[in-house]
Amino acid sequence: MSTSTALLGKAWRATANFRPILILVVAMFIFFTVTQSAFSTDQNLKNMLADSAILWIIAMGMTFVLISGGFDLSVGATAALVGIFMVKVLALGLPGGVVLVLMVLFGALVGALLNGIPIGRLNLSVFVVTLASMIALTGVVELWSGGESSYVTAPVAAMIGVDNVLGFPVPIWIMAAVFLAALYVQHLTFFGRDVYAIGGSPIAAKLAGIRVPRTLMLVYGVMGGCAALAGAIAVGRVGAATPTVDSTIALQAIAAVLLGGTALTGGSGGVGGTALGVLFIAILQNGLSLAGVSSDWQNVVTGVILLLAVLSDRFNFSDLLRRSSEDDGAAGAGGDATGDPATLGAGAGPPAHLNA
Amino acid sequence: MSADNGHSPVLSLQGMHKRYGGVHALRSANLTISGPGVVHILLGENGSGKSTLLGILSGQTRPDQGTITLGGQEVTFASPVDALARGIAMVSQETAVAPDLSVAENVLLGRGLVRRGPILSWGRTERRARTVLDRLELDCDPRARVGELPPDQRQMVEIARALSSEARILILDEPTSSLTDDEVEALFRVVRQLKREGVAVIFVSHRLPEVFTIGDEVTVLRDGATVAAGPIAAFDDTSLVEAMVGEGSAYGRNGAARPVAQGGGTALTVRGMRVPGAVRGVDLEVGRGEIVGVSGLVGAGRSEMLEAIFGARPIAAGELTVAGEPFRPRSPRHSIERGLGFLPPDRKGQGLVLGLSIQTNLTMVETIGRSRAAIPRPETEWQRVADTCERMQVRMASPALPVGSLSGGNQQKIALAKWLLRDPTLLLLDEPTRGVDVAAKAEIHAHLKTIAANGVGMLVSSSENEELIELCDRIVVMSRGRMVASLSQDEATEAKLVSSAGGHV
Repeated sequence: MSTSTALLGKAWRATANFRPILILVVAMFIFFTVTQSAFSTDQNLKNMLADSAILWIIAMGMTFVLISGGFDLSVGATAALVGIFMVKVLALGLPGGVVLVLMVLFGALVGALLNGIPIGRLNLSVFVVTLASMIALTGVVELWSGGESSYVTAPVAAMIGVDNVLGFPVPIWIMAAVFLAALYVQHLTFFGRDVYAIGGSPIAAKLAGIRVPRTLMLVYGVMGGCAALAGAIAVGRVGAATPTVDSTIALQAIAAVLLGGTALTGGSGGVGGTALGVLFIAILQNGLSLAGVSSDWQNVVTGVILLLAVLSDRFNFSDLLRRSSEDDGAAGAGGDATGDPATLGAGAGPPAHLNA
Repeated sequence: MSADNGHSPVLSLQGMHKRYGGVHALRSANLTISGPGVVHILLGENGSGKSTLLGILSGQTRPDQGTITLGGQEVTFASPVDALARGIAMVSQETAVAPDLSVAENVLLGRGLVRRGPILSWGRTERRARTVLDRLELDCDPRARVGELPPDQRQMVEIARALSSEARILILDEPTSSLTDDEVEALFRVVRQLKREGVAVIFVSHRLPEVFTIGDEVTVLRDGATVAAGPIAAFDDTSLVEAMVGEGSAYGRNGAARPVAQGGGTALTVRGMRVPGAVRGVDLEVGRGEIVGVSGLVGAGRSEMLEAIFGARPIAAGELTVAGEPFRPRSPRHSIERGLGFLPPDRKGQGLVLGLSIQTNLTMVETIGRSRAAIPRPETEWQRVADTCERMQVRMASPALPVGSLSGGNQQKIALAKWLLRDPTLLLLDEPTRGVDVAAKAEIHAHLKTIAANGVGMLVSSSENEELIELCDRIVVMSRGRMVASLSQDEATEAKLVSSAGGHV
């Protein structure tokens, strides 16, 4: 086998977790390119990506939350809260860069304190805790903003939301940076390993000496930080801080993560699949809009595809695909360890696989 | 109902066979209840096939072979509901009550609730529950929430529920394992009341004294077959225990094969340790290089003791030392830092993270002291991981595979080996060979002996007495949270362990 085929083979196997969505995204891209002349234009693609930045960044943080075995319903409220925070801090006359850093720290603090501590330390139910935060934060946002949008004219807002750098909108650069950072944390830190271990089995992780409460606090802190960054971009793109960013953003993010092959039960998955999940939603909505299909139908299609994606996980279509696409006779039996190591290893996506 | 209808038995199981894959759970097991109002004792060690037999009786399990005769008629049970409809009810070890519902609702749950038209009539429902409770001479309020009752009363509620369906045969699976002596007495009053009403009771227990107190006849299972049966009066302690563990039970002893590391000092001392709800005063010492076994029935407090020493469960009182230094368990992490290791009984849920790779699992404990922002360097771990796997004879294709892809025995070796990378002072092992095949079991035993020979102290809890006798230098026996016996390797026999654990010291 030549090295390039070997490399291709390896790359193909690395996608095992999210292969259905990868195929869907590519197929859909080709479909809309062929059927909608306006789709694959430079401007449309850039707009589409920049518009998906908020979902993308929140979904990256949400991936870690899902891998840890939880989810976070409060991110939309956190993003809105941070938007109002931005207005208030800008009013103090602080420089734009400092304001951005403060925003992310504020979001991280909100996530760690409101969600991380109750879930990690007090062992409360993820659903109840993040639902409560969502409700409470929505109230705080209304109180703090007086229920009104505030226009933001500071240059930092335009910079982060709509300006171009090297021919690409800034949100796209931020998406790339967040993705790389998430990949790094997932694969190249002990923290990343801990998150997988906790999601796989919190008891096993605790008995192995991993600090489960602290790790979960960090996970929800990171989630809050991501929500804050997304909130900043939302302000930038609209030019105003609104009391509601997008009330369904948390659920959309969870859907994107699930589409990307991360399981709601925790312990497996990764940000690579999430990227595809977000792209899927973005391309679908953009392409259908160009085709004149109403957003209601877009939702119907997204929902159906989400269900099918999770179902495909159940029936392990990716396994079938893998078997038919490679002649890996012995790898079928999971019970013994005699199978082709690379093929078996591609089954789940814990960090060590890539490194070993 | 007349208490005597000649010689036709109420229930008879003949020639029961059941296989689970390669495991022959039952091979020709028989059980006959000679008449109504009889308390029939079912005895057998762990793995003797008791649970399978009870499963068949209660309709949860289908036998591969064998006939069930109920009241002179051959029957088959399609489901637990089917068995219940034919008058066989089971009260399992884990009480299955709905804690938020009232006593009356729990007793009559299912079809017993009384309706008036489409609406439930609480008054009538409670009166009806009252009559069932009265039958058992149970003094508890039908309106009380079951979750607020003490455990023994909860069990009574379950028995009442079983009876409300007009059961003629009641199966009680180790009903006394979690009860105090007073509560056991109350339970026996209920059982005697049932006898008077002609209800036959199948009573599973390991406690020999109570077996003789309450039983009329007995069936003993060993290795899936009935090895003894008859009126209880035909047996005594010795003959019952012998029937359970087998004649002479000359199980291979570990002999003098293992050089015991001497003079290494103590690995662990425990003085007066109490754990709420489980351990009531334990004194214990484990030397370096010594393997100490903990024997006892389910519910004796063995697991809770190990968890408490490891810091995974709060301790109410007690003085501990590890390697001679005072030690106060705070958390698993703290214990690990002090040189302890813990192999939990459930490797799939507690010992390993199945979805993660063999390598990640192996190095999980070793790396807990590293900064969490640090970059794992798998290539530097690689050599140690490979060495460890080789030493433990783990059969695998690559350490990058998910640990869940290994066989049970190899998984268990990984769950054990992860502690060795930290050079522990003391290993706490709970059921170290549960669910592994015979070959892997022998290998794990050999590894444990080698590890001990290197100066590691071990405290091993197991429900298999054979295993403890094979493995340990010394065996302590726990019963109801207390140490009731301590036997050296030479003294320990299965018969002695079983009778001590059952309360005969």
